Amino acid sequence: MPEVAPFPATWLSGDGYRASRTRKAGGLTVDPWRHRAQHRNMSDNQTMAGVTISPVRRALTAPFTRRAWAEVGYAIVSFPLALLAFVFSLVTLHNGIFWAGSAPALRKIGSANRSLVRRMLGEDIPAPPPLRPHSYVRVRTPDADRLAALAKAEDAKVKQRGNRVRIGGMLATRIAELAADEHIVIHAMNPDRVVGWYRGAIRDAQAWKIRGYFLMKPVIASFHLVVAAGFWLAGLFYLTYPAWQEFAGAGPGLGSGHPVPLAASFLFVPLGAALLLASPWLTRAVCELDLLFVRGFLGDSSDPVALAARVKSLEAARARVKSLEAARAHVVDDSAARLRGIERDLHDGAQAQLVALAMKLGLAKEKLEDPAPPDFSRVAQLVDDAHRNAIEAIAELRTLAKGIHPSVLNNGLPDALATLAARSAVPVELVVDIQERPSAAIETIAYFSAAELLANVAKHSGARHATLEAVHVPGLLRIRVTDDGHGGAAAVPDGGLRGLAERIRTVDGSIDIESPSGGPTVATVELPSHA
Amino acid sequence: MVEMLRIVIAEDAAVIRAGLAEILTDRGHEIVAAVGDAEALQAAVAEHKPDVAIVDVRMPPDHTDEGLRAAIAIRRDHPGTGILVFSQYVETRYAADLVSMRRGPHSAASGGVGYLLKDRVANVAEFIDAIARVAAGGTALDPEVVTGMLNAARHTSALAMLTARERDVLALMAEGRSNTAIADQLVISDRAVEKHISNIFSKLGLPPSDSDHRRVLAVLAFLGS
Repeated sequence: MPEVAPFPATWLSGDGYRASRTRKAGGLTVDPWRHRAQHRNMSDNQTMAGVTISPVRRALTAPFTRRAWAEVGYAIVSFPLALLAFVFSLVTLHNGIFWAGSAPALRKIGSANRSLVRRMLGEDIPAPPPLRPHSYVRVRTPDADRLAALAKAEDAKVKQRGNRVRIGGMLATRIAELAADEHIVIHAMNPDRVVGWYRGAIRDAQAWKIRGYFLMKPVIASFHLVVAAGFWLAGLFYLTYPAWQEFAGAGPGLGSGHPVPLAASFLFVPLGAALLLASPWLTRAVCELDLLFVRGFLGDSSDPVALAARVKSLEAARARVKSLEAARAHVVDDSAARLRGIERDLHDGAQAQLVALAMKLGLAKEKLEDPAPPDFSRVAQLVDDAHRNAIEAIAELRTLAKGIHPSVLNNGLPDALATLAARSAVPVELVVDIQERPSAAIETIAYFSAAELLANVAKHSGARHATLEAVHVPGLLRIRVTDDGHGGAAAVPDGGLRGLAERIRTVDGSIDIESPSGGPTVATVELPSHA
Repeated sequence: MVEMLRIVIAEDAAVIRAGLAEILTDRGHEIVAAVGDAEALQAAVAEHKPDVAIVDVRMPPDHTDEGLRAAIAIRRDHPGTGILVFSQYVETRYAADLVSMRRGPHSAASGGVGYLLKDRVANVAEFIDAIARVAAGGTALDPEVVTGMLNAARHTSALAMLTARERDVLALMAEGRSNTAIADQLVISDRAVEKHISNIFSKLGLPPSDSDHRRVLAVLAFLGS
């Protein structure tokens, strides 16, 4: 007997095996053989204490371990199931519709086989990733040619007929993104779930692997059964041959050949014993072979590199979700704070002016209604005051409205920036290169950024000249304000810029201020084209 | 002309402060102090012991309910001073606070309370009238405030016992109106109003006594519930 036995000692003792069989079901640890294991505690303890079991004893007890019985059981149980699965796999090969339709069923059968392996052999084989429908989207667009070309460039399957494009293998969100980036107008976009599912199912590599497994499974299963049952039965037959050779009247060739005399029949007993002792090892070998296929064909066989890539992209997605959650929370806080600010401004400004106006007009009205001759100079004074309140209220409302949405932006960012530059106290050179309009929210933030940066130049830098640059390259709007002042501005935005920096962050933008002592100061705001 | 009142104004918006002062002086009242925050208000009241303090709810530093808290403190320390709380919005809770304050241990000796929306000042006569009522120990609640409180109190059992008409009458009482004014408003006779009021008193379990006092109790017991 070689030193390295194919059976780890723990399998024989039952302990390690039992541990591996133990599985979680609904939060409860289920061990179907626990009651049987109880009177094995002695051997369990011995093994755990590190008592080595001699190879001879291991070889002798191998046929009587649970593992051996489980493998025989697996061979017996899986044989008829293998035949059924084989028939199903074969019949559904008929045509494409059957291929697709049988994919989920094949996955179920595969999963049943895995669960059989788990229950009987204690090996938990990870489930393959679920069937993913193929993405299949129908798009109607006047720019069909361009969209088709773009989708093709991204390795999508594209079919085009007139202004209709059918795109396979590309998510609807990605198509929308492409269209938005390239300013392609989309009239209608519908994911075709039926075709998508059909294509996904027909190309479901996992289902094909499962089918492959079950098409060859009968070979393995028969072999398994023959080895398991054959060796056991033949072993028993020869072991007990002397006892019944007389009655059987049969030879040692398992019921054929010439009968042998009793004395000679004892020669077969060692053969029977050898067969019996060998059978668990052979059964095991076949079983391991089957397990190899089960792991490869029924389990999650994604190669480690792909798996690592998947994990990585999942982690990246998770991080992105986190940052988006933070940004969203910030947007909510930010808009709540801004609404509060607007309410304050209204309350303290226009509303107060209007209340005062109403008071004065009320008083003037009473004076005019008074039967006594009114004091006109007093009334005139009141009306004059009320008038002033009204003018103030209008001015306050205008300022407020401008803070909410500068109407100068209605004609686009270039005009708005030109107005800003013209109004600046410090002479501003304007460089604008904006071919396409960014989204309204981005324009507004860009405008406020430029306004705030220019205001800071005028207030703090001591500059004699400044440059306002606004460049829109696809996907990115960059606002840059450069001045020839004395520099030394805080690298971290504060004051008015802090609120702005927060708004910039809410749209995934960034603000960067470089201001070495002695100047010059360069402040750069970068925003995505679309918020 | 009514008697001259000594008034303290606490209002952070200078423009409204000036407007109030103008109206009140025009009507012959004396503005003993006009301040912009709650702390100055309490100091001014302590110093001048005015007949009425007109208090804006929202004042610096937090612009929440500083004025109201100051008003409650004034009630406690200077029960003789009537308080007219003044706000741009109806806050039922503020009104409820005022009312419960009114029912405090000093209520016997206290001046009146009022809660008006700032808009009401546009009707100068009503505003001046409200000030006078508060100075005399009565109530002056804005109709909107009353509506809000009645709505808030709608589910209480006491209210459930009142008929719709009685509820109308009670709402007008809560605004601080006289029987005649209520009769005019609802286009019913004075006698009918009296009948409704006595029904209200009995339903709310208020024993017969000085009728003006009962009126106040009816309104307050009710709004405070």
